[in-house]
Amino acid sequence: MDLHAELILSDYREAVPVLERLKQEVLAKLHDALKRNGLFVTAVEARVKTENSLAGKLALKGAKYASLNDITDLVGARVVTYYTDDVDRVASMAEQIFDIDWGNSIDKRKLHQLDSFGYDSLHYICRMPGYDLRFELQLRTTLQHAWAAINHDIGYKSGIEVPREYMRRMNRLAGMLEMADDEFSRIRTELNDYRRRVGQLVANGKLDEVQLDGDTFRSYMQVKPLENLNKRIAAINQAEIQEVPLSAFLSVLKALNCMTLGDVSRLIKQYQEDAYRLARHQLGNTDIDIISSAIGLQNICIVCILSSGGGKIGLKRMFDAINGPAQHNAELAELTFNQASNLPFMRN
Amino acid sequence: MTIQIQESDNRLIAFFAGRLDTAAAAAATDAVKPLLEAADKEIVLDCSELEYISSSGLRIFLSIRKEAAAHGSRVIVRSINADIRQVFVMTGFISLFEIQ
Repeated sequence: MDLHAELILSDYREAVPVLERLKQEVLAKLHDALKRNGLFVTAVEARVKTENSLAGKLALKGAKYASLNDITDLVGARVVTYYTDDVDRVASMAEQIFDIDWGNSIDKRKLHQLDSFGYDSLHYICRMPGYDLRFELQLRTTLQHAWAAINHDIGYKSGIEVPREYMRRMNRLAGMLEMADDEFSRIRTELNDYRRRVGQLVANGKLDEVQLDGDTFRSYMQVKPLENLNKRIAAINQAEIQEVPLSAFLSVLKALNCMTLGDVSRLIKQYQEDAYRLARHQLGNTDIDIISSAIGLQNICIVCILSSGGGKIGLKRMFDAINGPAQHNAELAELTFNQASNLPFMRN
Repeated sequence: MTIQIQESDNRLIAFFAGRLDTAAAAAATDAVKPLLEAADKEIVLDCSELEYISSSGLRIFLSIRKEAAAHGSRVIVRSINADIRQVFVMTGFISLFEIQ
């Protein structure tokens, strides 16, 4: 190594504590900004270039750098996103929190020729207020990251030049992963559109137009169609209501032939009075003053099953669905059946 | 009312015995604190000797479940008698707990 490179290395050794501090501040700023912008990513990482790595770089192209300040990747940070759209969102966020050295920043995603494939990320050279040294910020998707890591492993770790045939196969994979990235983004966009559409249909009461599934059921529960029933049940013993997830009832509702949210709405309307009577019968002579927000829907399902002749077997199936299959669910079904046996809906 | 806590295979097992009623709730709340402090582990509430549970007892079970859920862990309620199982049904908590 020549004297010039030795001097840069010596400056590097002195600068390591500053570089470590810069790394920590960059990480903190990235985490903070991601949180503020509601961006969920796979990874946020940063490293200070090792002395060995820097020595290697200087040995190859040391003359290119007049001083340590000319080396822009002494601190390298990386944000790995789930979706390709999010690379641009994180880039926009980075532009707000760091000074970007546009002259040295590269969007490698745009460098490819029409007839070539590659799988590169967006590289920003940034400056943090209060620091002379610049740092590199890489933004890429999870699939880009996986490809780049494996490409690096194959291409550099072995220390031998990779034959063209293998390069071609890696590039084929790059093309495929690029398509997969685009498809993941499209799926997310279309799902969000679907959820918005469902939300509007639910808000406008067009429940028959909405198929019952996990997403639509959650949307419907947000308009609290069971709130009145739960409050009436709570009033029996002046009980408090604990909010609990209702997703376990989705399969029960489907088994009760609810295909749309309209079917669920009609089920609630048809059976809510008997569901209340069942609760009053069960809770009325107890001093229990806490219930879950599932009680209304659970009792509606019980009443529906018993009214339609499902009997103890139907009840056991329901308990199997909401509590996992178990022999003791047969005892619960028996007990519930016996408790309900004197109620009016059982005489129809 | 007694509560004994044992640790085995990265899970905590609390053995409840007697009546978990309003009178026993304050002492029980103190007794389950080790479960709340180690809620990142799987928690088993063994109720094979539990005779009765009141609303106060349900609240204790709920606080354990809430803490475990916050830590991404789970709570298993084991060997409850028919009366207590019925309490879980008529309050609507049967779908919240993993009952074995």
